[in-house]
Amino acid sequence: MDNSTSAPDDGIVIDNVRKNYRIGKNAVTIFSDLTMTIDAGDFVAIVGPSGSGKSTLLNLIGGIDRPDGGDINFGHARISRMSESALTKWRGTNVGFVFQFYNLMPMLTAEQNIELPLLLTSLTARQRRERVETILSLVGLADRRKHLPSELSGGQQQRVGIARALASDPKLLLCDEPTGDLDRSSAEEVLAMLRILNAELGKTIIMVTHDDMAARSAKRVLRLNKGQFVEREAA
Amino acid sequence: MSTMNRFTLLRRTMARKPTRSVLLITSIAIAFFIYLVLTSFEHGFLGGQVDSERLIVTNKVGDALPLPISYYDKILALPDIAVATYMARSRATYRTPTNFLGLTAVEPLSFATFIGDQYDIPTDALARFGEVRNGAIVGRSIASQEGWALGQTITLNTSNFVKTDGSSDFEFTIVGILDGRQSADTHFVMARYDYINTERGTDRDTVTGFGILPKRNVRTDDVIDSVDTLFANSAYETRTRTEAEFMKAFIAQFADIATIVRLVVGVAFITILMIVANTMFFAIRERTKEIGVLKVLGFSRLFVLGNVLAETFALFAAGLGLALGLALAAIPFLREPLRTVVPDLTLTPAIIVEATALAALLALVTGVAPAFNAMRVPPNAALRER
Repeated sequence: MDNSTSAPDDGIVIDNVRKNYRIGKNAVTIFSDLTMTIDAGDFVAIVGPSGSGKSTLLNLIGGIDRPDGGDINFGHARISRMSESALTKWRGTNVGFVFQFYNLMPMLTAEQNIELPLLLTSLTARQRRERVETILSLVGLADRRKHLPSELSGGQQQRVGIARALASDPKLLLCDEPTGDLDRSSAEEVLAMLRILNAELGKTIIMVTHDDMAARSAKRVLRLNKGQFVEREAA
Repeated sequence: MSTMNRFTLLRRTMARKPTRSVLLITSIAIAFFIYLVLTSFEHGFLGGQVDSERLIVTNKVGDALPLPISYYDKILALPDIAVATYMARSRATYRTPTNFLGLTAVEPLSFATFIGDQYDIPTDALARFGEVRNGAIVGRSIASQEGWALGQTITLNTSNFVKTDGSSDFEFTIVGILDGRQSADTHFVMARYDYINTERGTDRDTVTGFGILPKRNVRTDDVIDSVDTLFANSAYETRTRTEAEFMKAFIAQFADIATIVRLVVGVAFITILMIVANTMFFAIRERTKEIGVLKVLGFSRLFVLGNVLAETFALFAAGLGLALGLALAAIPFLREPLRTVVPDLTLTPAIIVEATALAALLALVTGVAPAFNAMRVPPNAALRER
C-alpha cells in the first residue's frame, strides 16, 4: 500500500485523517490517523467488517462528510478545507456516486434521472440530450429510457444509477456496495461495466463491498480493519 | 427525446402524490375563495363611492335620532359652507315586508347639488320633482328590479315615517330615474321632504341629518368644529363626520362587517396555514433521502431551499388561481340577490393584488421551515434516512 502523501494529478491523498462519531454520550473513533494514496485511474475495492468505516471513508473522499482532523486532497484540491458550497460544486463536477439501493428519483424516468446532474452544467438542452443518449447506449438501457425506476429491475436501476454517476463525466466514481442488492447475474453485469469504465474511460473507481467477487473485479483490494488498511492485491 | 429543466423536478414532485396535491390546492382555494368573496363583500358594503369631502351632520346621541330642521338655516349661515342640504332617511318596503329599499326625503335642489358628483339626475326629472309634491326619483337598480317606469304610482311602507292616521304607507309618482356614476348605489328612492313632513304625525319638522359641502380651500376639520360647536349644549347636539366615517358607523350599527370578515378569513387562513405547513413538513421528511441525493449530485443548499419554497409557492399559486376563477364565476351570481345589502359587489383589481400578496406571504410562512430543514440536512445524514 502506498502510504506516501505526494499528490498525483487527480489522485487522492488522505493524510492523517481522524474521524469520530458521537453515539449518545460516547465518542467512537473510526479513524485515528489514516494515511493513504489512490492514484488516478486506479480501481480500488475497500473491504472489511461492518462498522469498520468503509462507507464513512467513501463519504469523506466524496466530500459528503468531513474529517475531524487531517487532510483529504483530490489532485490539487484540498477538499477537507473547502466551504460547503465549494464542496458541493466540486462534487457535482468531479465525483459520481453509485449507491447500493440506487437512490434514483422515483418520479423521474430513466433518462431524466441521468440528465438530472447535467442541469448543473452549462450544456445546452441539445448537448444534454446527446450526452444522455450516449450514456444510455453505454449502459444498454436505450429501450428503457422512458421507464420510471419502479418499472425497472434492480440490475437495470443500478445501471441507471451508474449512468447518472457518469453523466457529468467525473474523474472519480465512488461506489457504495453497488452489487449489494443485486442477483449474481446483474451483479456481474454491473461489475463488468465498472471494469470497462476504469479500463477504457480511465475513471478512478473506489468501491466499498462485502462481496468477494466484486472485490476481485478491482485492481487492488484494501482491507480496512480498526481504522487502518491492510492491503492485498486483487486476485 | 424530451429534455428536462429545473421545473421538471418541481412538476414531477407535485404530480407524484396527485391526491395530496389536489387536496392541498383545494383547501388553499377554498380559503382564498372565502377571502375574495368576503373582501369584495366588505368593500362593496362600505361603498366604493363615499366621499371624504362631503360632511354628514347627525344627532350626537345616535344617527337615527332626529335633529330639528331649524338647524338648516343656522348651518347655511356659517361662513365656510358652500352647499347644505337636509334629509330624513327611512327604511321602506315595497309590496312584501322583506323587499327592502332605502327612502330618503330631501329638498330637491340642494340635495341634487350635494350628490351631483355621484349621480346623474336628468334636468327634466329634477324639474318635475319640484313640481309634483309626491314625486319620487328612483334609482336605476331598484327601478330595474321592480320594473318601475316614469309616471307609475308606487306605494312604499316606511319604518320611520308614520302618518297622522297611524299608517306608514306613502304613495309616490315616479318622476325620474337616476343613474349612479361608477359603482354608486342606486337601490333607493328619493322623495320630497315637504310631502313626507306634512303627512307624518310624529317627528314633524325634524330630519335625520344634514349634508354639507365645505367651500374650497377650507379645512374639513374647521367646518366640523364650527358646526358641532354651534349646537353644543343644545337639546340636540350634533356630530359632524365625513361621509366615509358616517358610512362606516352606519354599517357598524348592523354588524362590524370588517371584524367579521377578518375573523372568518383569519380562521380560514390559520387552518390552511397549519394544514399546508404540516403536510409540507411531512412531505419533505418523506423526501429526505432524495434531498440528500440532490446534494450529493452537486445541487446547492440554495437550490434545495428554493425548490421546496417553489413547491409551496406553486401550491398557493394554483390554489389562488382556482379561487380567483371560482370567485369571478360566483360574484356575478351573488351580485343581484345581495344588491340591497351590498350595492357594489365587485372583485376589484386591488382585492386581487391583496390576495396575491397574501398568498405569497402564506407560501413563504408555510414553506420556510420545511425548506430550511431540507437545506440544512447534511447529505450523509439524509442518505441514511429510510
